[in-house]
Amino acid sequence: MDFVTILQQLSSGMIKTVGIFFWTLALSLPFGLVIAFGRMSKNKLVSSIFKFYISVMRGTPLMLQLLVVYFGPYYLFGIKLSQGYRFIAIIIGFVLNYAAYYAEIYRSGIESMPVGQYEAATQLGYSKSQTFFKIILPQVIKRILPAITNEVITLVKDTSLAFSLAYMEMFTIAKQIAAAQTTMIPFVVAAVFYYIFNLIVAFTMERIEKKMSYYR
Amino acid sequence: MKKTVAMLLCGAMTMALLVGCGSSSAETTQTAAEQTEETTEATEETTEETTEATTEETEAAEEANPEADRTTFVVGFDAEYPPYGYMDDNGEYTGFDLELAQAVCDMEGWELTKTPIDWDSKDMELNSGSIDCIWNGFTINGREDDYTWSDPYCDNSQVIVVAEDSGINTLADLAGKNVGVQTASAALSVLSDEEQQKALADTFGSLQQFSDYNSAFSELLAGSLDAIAIDIGVANYQISSRGEGYVILSETLNSEQYGVGFKLGNESLRDIVNADLKKLAEDGTVAELAEKYDISDLICLK
Repeated sequence: MDFVTILQQLSSGMIKTVGIFFWTLALSLPFGLVIAFGRMSKNKLVSSIFKFYISVMRGTPLMLQLLVVYFGPYYLFGIKLSQGYRFIAIIIGFVLNYAAYYAEIYRSGIESMPVGQYEAATQLGYSKSQTFFKIILPQVIKRILPAITNEVITLVKDTSLAFSLAYMEMFTIAKQIAAAQTTMIPFVVAAVFYYIFNLIVAFTMERIEKKMSYYR
Repeated sequence: MKKTVAMLLCGAMTMALLVGCGSSSAETTQTAAEQTEETTEATEETTEETTEATTEETEAAEEANPEADRTTFVVGFDAEYPPYGYMDDNGEYTGFDLELAQAVCDMEGWELTKTPIDWDSKDMELNSGSIDCIWNGFTINGREDDYTWSDPYCDNSQVIVVAEDSGINTLADLAGKNVGVQTASAALSVLSDEEQQKALADTFGSLQQFSDYNSAFSELLAGSLDAIAIDIGVANYQISSRGEGYVILSETLNSEQYGVGFKLGNESLRDIVNADLKKLAEDGTVAELAEKYDISDLICLK
């Protein structure tokens, strides 16, 4: 099997890897904000529930969480699994996990904002939600971008964990080709793919950071 | 409510850990299932009731007419297990077992769905119904009570592969050496069974577990591993595609048989597949496929 064929076969997996990446990003970024609010809630009960959620999500391996999300419905409730659920389970698992990390990054940004800004906004007649979305959030995003970039890059590499649910993403296919052809070339291709993917991510995030630094 | 969900999640994780790490015996699965039931009972009685109702309905439906309206046949296999199941040059899943499954489906008018699975999660995949059977060089011996089995169709033996210049010629030479084996494989259970080759395994320097044979062979080539315990069919494929440099020891670890594994109690589906396999053996299809994949010597289905 020549190099081009290997590349062709891996490309179907690459599309699936990119799919996991974008779906997870698109859902976990907003969901993370919700969790961050829950975590910072003044209600002790609410905040401790979210604190517990974050500690479970950060404290257990993502691979285990994926297995729980996929097989949980059957073992807990006896629901028969259908084929289509595999991908949905992967997205749910990734989003639940990554949202917890993003929530803590959001919290670090939001809590770093000086109280004076809230006081000034109140004096100027801004409502609570206006203060947050017009004054606080834009500054928070600027501050947390480098930390977010870190997590996004980790996400690219973590997509390979989908193999535990036998989802045919790129790395799973790379392993299968490697087994059938008894060669290590697919792994080299995989490494290059992840590296280029992350170069693009890092480049894009840098561009966004530059765009955001309008006060400097 | 949120807390209940969190607690459920916690229980589920403990369970997944048990199932995931446990041996592939039915006992483990059962214990886990029992635990789950307890958790469910304790936390959400209403759900329990609904579940029971659904299960009863499904059971009733199955009793009435078990396999009549089946249109698809989902085969779970390890896509890193040539020549029984693997990805061919065109990116399609193929192999002796998968072509045999296709032949059965052609007879029954089912549509074959080839679902590559993570071998470590095979019990979870089967029990949860996301696959109908495990059909992939699946050793019966030692797992008799864990699955509902078809008739054995292929003889197999567990052998030791070593590098040609290693100086290892007999099983006794393996004392103090590093031996590799696939996780949750039949070779591993042979080596950890007291009544079989546990005594031999105890003489090894170490018994290293790999998720796939490709990395095991790479380590053998690199010298960090001295020998690999492996199914003979897989060993032949690996050696023929890797070329010179490896030998199979003439002493085997044991001999055993392959069958198709169905979920425990799923006799109706098993009986259909069994009957079809018999017909396929009679009309020569099995022999033809065996020749194609170079395992004619191993076929035992007559």
